[in-house]
Parts: sequence; structure tokens; C-alpha cells
Amino acid sequence: MKLRKNLQEIMAELKSSEEYKHNIAHWQTIEAKLAKSAPFPARMHEKLRAALVKRGIHNLYTHQATAFDVAVEGGSLVAVTPTASGKTLCYNLPVLQSILENEKTRALYIFPTKALSYDQKSELHEMINEMDAAINSYTYDGDTPSNIRQKIRQAGHIVITNPDMLHSGILPHHTKWVSLFENLKYVIIDELHIYRGVFGSHMANVIRRLKRICAFYGSDPLFICTSATIANPLELAEELTEKEMKLVDNNGAPSGRKHFVFYNPPVVNKPLNIRKSVVLEARKLALEFLSNKIQTIVFAKSRVRVEILLTYLQELVAKQLGPKSIRGYRGGYLPKQRREIEKGLRDGSIYGVVSTNALELGVDIGQLQVCIMTGYPGSIASAWQQAGRAGRRHGEALIIMVGSSNALDQYIVQHPEYFFTRNPETARINPDNLVILVDHLKCAAYELPFKKGDLFGKNDVLDVLEFLTEERVLHQNGDKWYWMNDAFPAHNISLRSASQENVVIIDQTDSPNHQVIGEMDTFSAMTLLHDEAIYLHQGTQYQVEDLDWEEKKAYVSEVNVDYYTDANLAVQLSVLEIDKQKLFAQTEATYGDVSVRAMATIFKKIKFETHENIGSGPITLPESELHTNGAMLSINHDAFDWDDNRMEQGLIGASHALNFMVPLFVMCDPNDIHVYPQVKAAHNEKPTIFIYDKYPGGVGLSDKVYQNAETILKETQKMIERCHCENGCPSCIGTDTASSTAKRDAVNVLKIFR
Amino acid sequence: MSLKNKLNRMKTHMDLQDSEKKGSPVEGAKKQLHEKSEGHLELPFAEKWQQFDTLPYKFDESYCWIREVRYPIEMKHGHYSFADLHTVIDLWQKSGLNHPLTASGIGTEDLFFFDTETTGLGGGVGNTIFILGYASVEKDEVVVRQHILPQPGAEIPLYQSFLEKVNYETLVTYNGKSFDWPQLKTRHRLIQQHVPNLPEFGHFDLYHASRRLWKRKLEKVKLSIVETEILGFKRENDIPGYLAPMIYFDYVERQDPEILFGVLKHNEWDVLSLITLYIHLSRQILQVDGYGDESLEMARWFHYLGKKEAAYKTFELVVKEGSEDEILFAKQALGFAKKKNKNFNEAYSIWREVFEKGNGMLKVEAGIECAKLLEHQFKDYELAKKYTADAMDTLSGLSKYKDTLIVNELTKRLLRLQRKLQVDSNIL
Repeated sequence: MKLRKNLQEIMAELKSSEEYKHNIAHWQTIEAKLAKSAPFPARMHEKLRAALVKRGIHNLYTHQATAFDVAVEGGSLVAVTPTASGKTLCYNLPVLQSILENEKTRALYIFPTKALSYDQKSELHEMINEMDAAINSYTYDGDTPSNIRQKIRQAGHIVITNPDMLHSGILPHHTKWVSLFENLKYVIIDELHIYRGVFGSHMANVIRRLKRICAFYGSDPLFICTSATIANPLELAEELTEKEMKLVDNNGAPSGRKHFVFYNPPVVNKPLNIRKSVVLEARKLALEFLSNKIQTIVFAKSRVRVEILLTYLQELVAKQLGPKSIRGYRGGYLPKQRREIEKGLRDGSIYGVVSTNALELGVDIGQLQVCIMTGYPGSIASAWQQAGRAGRRHGEALIIMVGSSNALDQYIVQHPEYFFTRNPETARINPDNLVILVDHLKCAAYELPFKKGDLFGKNDVLDVLEFLTEERVLHQNGDKWYWMNDAFPAHNISLRSASQENVVIIDQTDSPNHQVIGEMDTFSAMTLLHDEAIYLHQGTQYQVEDLDWEEKKAYVSEVNVDYYTDANLAVQLSVLEIDKQKLFAQTEATYGDVSVRAMATIFKKIKFETHENIGSGPITLPESELHTNGAMLSINHDAFDWDDNRMEQGLIGASHALNFMVPLFVMCDPNDIHVYPQVKAAHNEKPTIFIYDKYPGGVGLSDKVYQNAETILKETQKMIERCHCENGCPSCIGTDTASSTAKRDAVNVLKIFR
Repeated sequence: MSLKNKLNRMKTHMDLQDSEKKGSPVEGAKKQLHEKSEGHLELPFAEKWQQFDTLPYKFDESYCWIREVRYPIEMKHGHYSFADLHTVIDLWQKSGLNHPLTASGIGTEDLFFFDTETTGLGGGVGNTIFILGYASVEKDEVVVRQHILPQPGAEIPLYQSFLEKVNYETLVTYNGKSFDWPQLKTRHRLIQQHVPNLPEFGHFDLYHASRRLWKRKLEKVKLSIVETEILGFKRENDIPGYLAPMIYFDYVERQDPEILFGVLKHNEWDVLSLITLYIHLSRQILQVDGYGDESLEMARWFHYLGKKEAAYKTFELVVKEGSEDEILFAKQALGFAKKKNKNFNEAYSIWREVFEKGNGMLKVEAGIECAKLLEHQFKDYELAKKYTADAMDTLSGLSKYKDTLIVNELTKRLLRLQRKLQVDSNIL
């Protein structure tokens, strides 16, 4: 009988075996850290002390003690807390203390997802039970049965909810929550770092509405936020809540020893500098651990990759561990499926999970020993979050980041010092994005009328009120504006995605028993759910038989094929209005409003394993238009003595490289921003690179690009120059360029701006 | 760049309804509203309002409209005249029956029949009430009063005037417990520091009673359907309720009340029909007319309320005078009464009859009850098994077969009986 190997043995093997040792680009060991603690604060209530002692806690970590002191003195705060540092006590202690001191006190806990609130509730309940105090805490979300809702509204000391429910289920019904709003002393925002970009901009407006309602009922709650490590937690917390905050970052929690390995797959094509597939390498590594029953989490960047990896792994270990021991986990799954997976991970019946970044959040899945990242997740903060999934409370843990051929991954893998020393990224929001602001102003007016001179956040919104009056959404009576529409505005506003309607995915394999298996935002659906697309769900392949665009329904049937599909999106850009401009001798940089018209054109069928192109077909979907902000970098015609073709190659190359580097400098998901080259831009007829926000109205990303263009261009140029390939490769300028001068030209294009 | 331009450009991303189609507001009317002339309140179209029995109510530099119409108490509305309200109130005093709709201790003039019109659906804060309408009896007249919001923001005079007038004990509504009253409380909450507190009222919600009696009979238990099908009242040129918000918004812009009159009439019919409905329901509950279409449902309702005596009396009435189907249902229920009184033989013979004549779930239920009696009282396991198996058989032909609770119960019983038979045969 084959003996099972443990983690240490496998680690030793990785370091020594011929198969692996050459691929290890960097091995960083992060030593265990000892706890720094502080005694219970003098003011802490006896019952609270007793409950902590019962749970085996005899003193606090330094950051918990600081958070307690700040909050009971009435200050708002943001605590920076890595995974497993006992962050919940940072807010539970002051909240419970205040309720013990004054029974009327109310607190609102906001978690970004339902799954998270579910976890937190059980933890809070245990604590309250041990305290032997009559404190009610309830979860209030879409799953809350209607017969207990009224009780929660009136008697819940602590109400646990999520942003979406707050936005559409609580705030528009505030008159039913009088006892909460009159006595609201604490608002808890957990996982603060999640609230960035579009979602964060929405959330900031939801909080503006919340504060407005609190003011109406005479309360002024303080905010306690907890955040993973990002560069600007204080700034983000203050922008989000528009309150003065104190930063608590004296983390005193201990942590186990961690090994962080950068793994670079071998080069298989020298001239093109193409490396072995990151998916295949991640699969191989994951198998080592899974076949030894070591709980492992594999992160993949896209839904498609999750499904591909899942298919591979399930095939290989199903016999050994059972078919349900390896599961997928991503946004498109229904909540019940997700709960089941979370539970399986905690109780150990599931050994492996393949996930998108949905599991970056602090969902309690117990102690995994190994984390494998299929490629660099796109940001330093995100990488640390994913790494935190391994060894939360354990002794030793292993994190392997497998680099893909793309430029950013190679940059990271080859510059470990960059990763380990650089400040994590900055989280940005733009609460004053016009589309988002107007949406929430409508909700706010529905909730309470506006009076002349009222601010919304820090804005005087008179112009918007007048605009909405002209649009017959509001009615002006004297110096007040009232809601005058039959709609319920919050229902039409989704906090999470750019488009407001999702495409529902319907499985009709077992006709006529159709079954809804998931949903997807319309923009992704253009390229992932077009007719004939292969859609993967829980490792099962489906072919899209009909995408009903009008009704937003995709009908799929199960199939079994050896390829997946990949679609192209054609983009047309025009500049609507110029806000800022800098002119140079040979170039110009512009920032302003742009219109983007996108159309899915064709799709390719790509074979598994070999990844070769085995066919293609047209996509017939209407064009979709986006009004947003963009930064435009244009070159004068006489700058280069090139023909259009050569110019195009140079621009494509430079854009490809920028696509990787921009997200690095403006902390955003690569999907939040888009880089697109045009040889002859419509607005000035010059060769131009467009960099635009993918959300209507923009969330401030392209503005940051405009401001920091010099640094970004310089770093991108350096990145290309450092690449070892001859004429361009996926790691720098991509492979869409064919000419031998492309790499040099891309560098020249970037250079000319400085 | 100007914000207005930007707002207009981003319009397509903003989920605004196509306002172009709505036509432009009458500028004059709008101006009148926005510019308060000093100390003098403009009352647009006051004459036209007056012709429609409506006068302004001024309060604190603002105003609302109050429409008042009176009808003689002898007037017929559907099958009854309003004067019949006196009769049923008297009957309630004499009856002594403790029922959720009892008017015992309440005078005719203490009731107010209430309904609202709102700018939207559902229960959010922004759903504004623009008509508060109610009817009540004053001496030999029925008075209908409607408080009308001239534009959003004029709610202080609206609620002030309403609260001055409503000096009643009991509210009678149709679905008011879950909609009208909470919505009124919500809107009142927003201005509560400016107006009197809401008094406590008793509340009869006739929707729940109507559902109990007619949900099997009517496709939808909407007030307008109950009117035509049960109360014998037919509206002419009624404005459907769902159009009310659109009409109101149009009125707010133009201020010409003409268009709103249809909605006011609709609301008036609603509150008047509530009187008729209360009369009709009371007569059913109090069994004024002896056996009738609603008797069986009535008996079930009494049973649900725990009024056993009234329930069995009514079931017996149905057995005497009802249709064949009804008789079986009533007998089924009476079987339980017999069983409770330990008249097992009588109970058994009733259920046997229901089992033989009935079908569907009624038959299944009767079969189960026979089996229970046979197993536990008469110890005839063989026959009990037969009834259980037959009940199972009947059930398998019904859509309720998927109801695993019953299937499980039957299966368990069958297995247990088999075991008991086994034991018996072993002993023998």
C-alpha cells in the first residue's frame, strides 16, 4: 500500500526533484509571528469578560484593545486585520459593551455577502449565549422568513444584513424600523476593501442614504470598519462613510509559518517565449496534494478556468476520493450550492476546491493547508487575501503562485522583491459618478423629501434635483422636492454590476423540465452566452442553443465536447467632450467623456489540452453602447516615419502591454478598465491609445491613468525591454502582432510620450 | 462641462421612463403652485372643485381638498340598503357570538369604512397616499368624505384635516391591515411632529373574511369581483385602480381636477361597497337567512375560530339543506365531533358513508379516519388495512400524491397494521 505523504515531505520534494526544482523562481519563508496582547480594558463589562474567559480568552490582542478603546469613547475607526487575526472582536466587543450599558442601543452589521453574514451570526450567537444577556441578534436578508421580520425590526439589538438588502429592503422601508434608526449607535462594515470601484461607489451612496435617515430620526452612528491590507484603508473608509476615522493597525495576532513559492512553468517555445500552460501546471501541483488528502484550494482567474480545472481534477481523483470531494465555487452558482460547499470544506468531506476570487472574502472554510494560484490574481492585496486561505490558524502552510506567460505574471514572478516589499494597492471609489449618484438620489428622494440646501454626501445636488424634476421623477413644491413616480427605485438598481439586467441561464436538457442554473451580467453574456457558446457550470459542459437577448434568457443543453469557446469583441470609440488636455511636441494626452460601442463579432472553438483553434462562427447580437470616461494618448503624424500598418502594430503591442500594467498602478480588476488602440481616432484623426473605465460614467480609473501617465508608460516600456523574447511574446506585447519590428516599435511608441 | 449636459448625455444609463411621451406640463398651473403669493393662498380650479362637492381646507399656509357627499340611508347599494346596517348592528348586540367581526358594543355611527388611493404599489416609504376616503352613518344619512392631496408635499393639511374628522371607534377596510393602514402610518410618521398623533382604532379587515368565504368560488377575491358576484352591485364607467397613479401625476401637473373625478368616484364606490359587504358578511355570520351558499364555509370558519357549538350547528344545517357534495363535507366534519364525544360507532358509520360516496381528498381522509377507528377502537386490523390500502389507492390518482406527508403517514400505518396482523396470527 502506498503511504500518504505529508506537507513537509511534499515541500522537500518540490525543492529537490528534477521535475519541479528548476521551475521554482522564488521561495520565501515567512516566519511565525508571536502574539502581542493587552489586558482587558478596565471599562469592559463583567459579563463580557466572563464570556471571553469561558471561551479561553484571557487578554486581547493589541489591535482589539485599541479598537475597543476608540469605539467606546465614541470614535469611528477602521481596523486593518489580516486573515485569522480575530477581527470580529474589534467590533463585537464595543457593540456588546454598549448594549450591556444601555439596553436600547442598536447596531447594524453589514457584510458584503449573505454567506459571510451567515458565518458571523453563529459566532456572535455563541458569544451572546455565553454572556447570559438578553441580547437579540438577527440576520435580515432575502432569506429571512416574513413571520419573524417584524420582530427583528422592533426588537433586534443587532441586525445583520448585506448592502443589497440595506439598499432595497431596509432603507426604503425605514418607517418600519423606527426603533433601530432612533437608537442606532454602531454601523459595522466588514471587509471594507471589497467596497472599491463600482460596488464601492454604490455603497458610499447607500451609506449617504443611511446617514440621511439616521439624521431624520435623530441618531448619528459611529462606524467600525475592518479591512484586509490595502494601501489606503483610512482614506477608503473616510471616503465611503464621509466620517472622520481613526486607523487601528497595531495587529497583535500571531501567525503560523508560511512558505510562499513563485513557480514559473518551463518555456516550451523559445522564440515566442511561451511557457507551459498555467492551468496544466496548476493541475499537476494540485494533484500532488489532493492525492495525499491534503486540503487544497486552487484559485483561477476566470469562471471558465475554474470549470476547466474542475473538469480535469474531478476526472483524475474522483475514483480515489469520491466524486464530490472536489468542488467548484464561483459567483454564478446558486446560494444553496455555495452553502453546501462551504460546509463540506469546514467538515472535511471536501478536499479540494477550485474557486474564483469569490472565496477571497472571509467566509469561514476552516483550515486549508495549501493554496495554489493559477496566475497572479491581478493585485497584491488580492494575492495576499488568497494566500490567507491557507493556514489560517494552522502551523505550516504552503502557497504556490504559478505564473502564466502573460506580461504581468512574468513581471511579478521575476521580481519577487516587488511583490514582497511594495505597498499593496490603493482602493479607489468615485461616489460622485453621475450615473450612480443620480440612481441613489432617486432612492433617497423616495425615502425622504429633499429640501433646498440639503447636501447629499458633500454635494449640493440642486442641479440633479432640477434635472429629475424635469424628467417627472420628482415634484417640486416650494423649496422641497418630493418623489412622484409609481416605481420603487431601489428595485431597478443593482449595486454590483454595471448593467442592470442579468441574463438567466436555463438548462433545457431534461425537456420539458427546464431549470434555472445561474445568471450572468449582460456584458459578459455577450461573449460567454452567445449562440453555440460552450458554457461550463460545475464542471458540466453546456452548449448555448438560444440566447434570447430581448428576454435576457439563455437556453442551454448539456453536451460533451473536447473544446471551449472564446469570443471577440469589436469596439468603436468616440470622444464626446474633452475635460483636460496636455499638449507636447509630438504627442497629446486628453481626458474626457467617451462613447464606447461594443459588438461581439465572432467566436473561436479552442481544443482542450492543446489549446489549438479548431473552428469559428459569427455572433449576431446588437451593439451595446457605453458612455464613460477615458484617457486618450495620441501621437502626431510626423512623429514616426511609419506606414499605417506599422503604426497599428506598434500601437497594438503597446496597448497589450499597457493592459497588464495599468491595473497594477490604479488598483483595479483588469476587467474594470480597457485599453484599445486606433490608428486614426475619430476625434483628432491621430494614432491614439484609449484607456477607459468599463462602467457608465466612469469610477475614476482613467482619470488616475491620465494623472500618472508618465510613470505608467515608463514602467510599461521597461517591462517590454526586459522581456527576453525576440520579437514579442504573450509576456510583453502579445502575439497579435506579426512584424519583426513590433517589439521595438511598441517601445518607441511608449517612449515618445516622455 | 455643464452638469446638465452631462446628465442629459448619461440619460440612457439612468433607467428613466421615456418622459417625452408624457406631454408637457401646463406652465400656468405649475407657476401658481411654486410661487406663493404673500399671505394669500392660490386655489387652482376652486370653482370646478366646488361643482364636484369639494372645498379647500387651509392649514398653515398650505391646503388640501375635502370632498363630501351625502346619501339617504334608505338608498340601495347592491342587494341591501344602507339602513340594513342598523339591522345587523342590532343583531350583533343580541347575538352574544364572539367573532372577530362582532359589532357588539359598537354603534352604527362608530364604524368608518375606509380606503386609500396611492401613487404606487407595495409598501415603501415613497408610496404616497393621495386620497383618504371613508364613509360613515350620520343619523339618516351616509356621509362619504374624501381628503385629497393637491400635490406631493401638502400632507400636513391632508392628515391634519383627516385626524380632525375621524372621531370613530372602528375602521372597516378591505386588506387595510396589511396595506392601507401601515401605509398611512408610514406617511404619518414623516410629518408626525406637525400633526396630531394617530388614535387607536379597532379594525375589521373584510378581505380576510371574504377570502374565507369565497376563495373557492371566485377566481380572485378582489373587492370589485365580490361586488358583482356576491353583493349584486355593478359599477359603470369605473376607472381601474391601477391607472390611478398615472391619472394623479397628470392632475398634479395640470391641476385641472376633471381627470381626477373618475378616481374619486372609484374610491367612493369602494367605501360604499364596504358597507354592503359588512352587512352581507354579518348576516352570514349571524345566520340570518338560514341555510345559504356560504353556510359550509361559514361552518368551517367557526370551526377554525374554535367556536365548536356554532360550527356543529351550522354543519348540521348544511346536512339538512345543503347540496349532495356539501352534505358529505359537513358530515365529514361532524364525524370528528362524534369521535370526540366517543360516539365511535356513529363516527364510523358517518365516515364509512363519506368514504363510499365521496371522492378526492375527502375520500382519502374518510378512509384514514375509518382505519384509525378500526385499528384503535374496534381492533379490526384486517379491515383497517383494507381502508388504508384503499385510501392509498385513491391518493395515487390525485395530484396531492406528491404530498409526502400523507403518503408517509399511510405507508407507516400500513406497515404497522401488517405487523399487528403478523403478531395476531403468531399468537393464533
